[in-house]
Amino acid sequence: MNSVMAWFKTYLLQIVVLLVVVISMYAINPNFHVEASVERLIPLGVISAGLAVTMIAGEFDLSIASMAAFAGALTIVLSPMGLMLATIIAIVVGILLGMLQGLAIARLGINSLVFTVGTLILLRGMTWLITGGVTVSGNDFKEAKVFALKIGFMTTLSLTAIIVIILLGIFLSRSKWGREIYALGGARHEAVAAGVRYTRGMIIAFGISGGAGALGGALVSARGNSAAPNALEAMLVGALAVVLVGGISIAGGKGTMVNVFLGFAIVAILQSGLAAKGAKAFVSELFVGVLLLVVVLLDYLIASIAERGRKKKLRTQALLTA
Amino acid sequence: MTTNTSIISTGFQQRAGVRRTYNVIRNAALPILIVLTFIIASFSVPHFFDFNTIRAILLSASITGIIAVGMTAITLSGNMFSLGVTATTVFSAVIYIWVGQASGSMYVAAAAAIASAVALGIAQGYIVGLGLNTVIVTLAVGSIVYGITAILTKGQVVQAEENVHLEGFATFALFGVPLPIVVFLVFTVLAWFLTEHTMIGRNVHLLGSNRETARNSGISPMGTTIWAFIAFSLGIGIAAVLQASQMHQVQADNLPTLTMDVVAAVLVGGTAVTGGDGSPIKSAIGALFIATIQMVMVLLDIPEGTRYFVLGVVVLVLVVILHLLRKAGTR
Repeated sequence: MNSVMAWFKTYLLQIVVLLVVVISMYAINPNFHVEASVERLIPLGVISAGLAVTMIAGEFDLSIASMAAFAGALTIVLSPMGLMLATIIAIVVGILLGMLQGLAIARLGINSLVFTVGTLILLRGMTWLITGGVTVSGNDFKEAKVFALKIGFMTTLSLTAIIVIILLGIFLSRSKWGREIYALGGARHEAVAAGVRYTRGMIIAFGISGGAGALGGALVSARGNSAAPNALEAMLVGALAVVLVGGISIAGGKGTMVNVFLGFAIVAILQSGLAAKGAKAFVSELFVGVLLLVVVLLDYLIASIAERGRKKKLRTQALLTA
Repeated sequence: MTTNTSIISTGFQQRAGVRRTYNVIRNAALPILIVLTFIIASFSVPHFFDFNTIRAILLSASITGIIAVGMTAITLSGNMFSLGVTATTVFSAVIYIWVGQASGSMYVAAAAAIASAVALGIAQGYIVGLGLNTVIVTLAVGSIVYGITAILTKGQVVQAEENVHLEGFATFALFGVPLPIVVFLVFTVLAWFLTEHTMIGRNVHLLGSNRETARNSGISPMGTTIWAFIAFSLGIGIAAVLQASQMHQVQADNLPTLTMDVVAAVLVGGTAVTGGDGSPIKSAIGALFIATIQMVMVLLDIPEGTRYFVLGVVVLVLVVILHLLRKAGTR
């Protein structure tokens, strides 16, 4: 019972926000179907999970949306050899590029924000290069249907995403390498001094982020059977919103896949609720921006109030002993 | 009692000469690269060494450059960079056209556009000054501003009517040099003077190189950060006015690559993202370099897709090289 209470306490803010969002969406739109509309946004969840891993490791992967666009374009360009095979190749390429990125960041000792801004531009350029600057579309409609196949109430698409997020969650919380990522994000010097391999941690974290970004992009392309060179640019803001609304600390070392899931539920329900109401894409981008800003400000307020409380306690203690 | 204090040599003093060499290379690398590109291009690229081409390079560098010069203040103050450039610029451009339409005067319109950009900048500077992450705040504000712009304009093209003349800032030329280029130069020199020779510039530098020391010496992180954002927003406002008077129309989806171009210009210029090291002049040169490379590729008839790719490679390679040189220069 105690552990359940502790669990609730950890995720209290997110659960409250989620309830508020769900209730307000039902209030403005009584016949709103949660399952049906969230389905559409599944790739965002996958990409957010990738972004979350690098953030837990105390780094920033700004290139993730470009990685998604690149992998999406690669999937379509390679689709003459079969959409399934093309998807797998795109994901493998994503993982490898991500690992390379992690290796470069660790070995060069460069700020990951700077390096990933560079790769953001480079991967976008690679997307332009392989699409030739136009929207490309595949012609393998038979295999495209596999992604829309229904298993129970879920499609294979959402099932893949959910399995990936669960596997990532188990990896992060149960495996040695996963725990090392937390250690590197929470207290890097102490972790390295205690024997955690910094380079390996970075390679794993960025490899996961690259792979998740690629999977998200490939899913978008495979479902729509097309890819545009300038696609998915809004994914970075969306994924950041999911991760931060979910309660993952930007300082690193804190947060789980449950945070990602809750953040995703909040953002996805908000977006799909607005879309169901007939709002245009830019309206939902506006709301995601507001949500992101409100959450980081709330987080700051809570932290500073807690800090003030702590200082007050220390002061009274000092006065009592004096 | 005697204490045995033998001096342990760390080699720090001895390496001073080597460090200086690395720093000289780092500071001179980009200007030399631009000159080299110019020399090679004028021999090998048709129509490159030509008044019109060079004017076009300067013109296309001016919009990005003005914002990059402004953004250098944020980067110098240790607040990384803003990822909401496009949204704010387009918003200010819309304000320019609307106010110009309503008032009929391009000066009033320019003042309104710059004022709106600065207001947005102060708000963001305040939030960042509280200690929040710049990248996240500017991305969030960027999407909010984009959303508001799209809602206000209903996603339509905003255009001034025939009888309203707002193009004056773009068509005006000083001895054959278009106004945007003149503004770019003046803005860069002003920004350089402000960062190197005034109190506020020193404060920005110190805040970026060591936040704790700056705070302990009585510099307000909040105030300094807001000043840095004001400098940045002035750049945005001026660039928006020039852009809007050049195009005479604007749409919410315009300038999609502006944010990344500006960030690339600052990084390629060689200002350190960790803060405290860099100069507005470096960012201006960075913008000029990117514009030159782009123009060379356009003249060589390289397709758009390949141009983006080459630009990405150039930016990434330069960023890594500059980082390695900086590391070697401080060891």
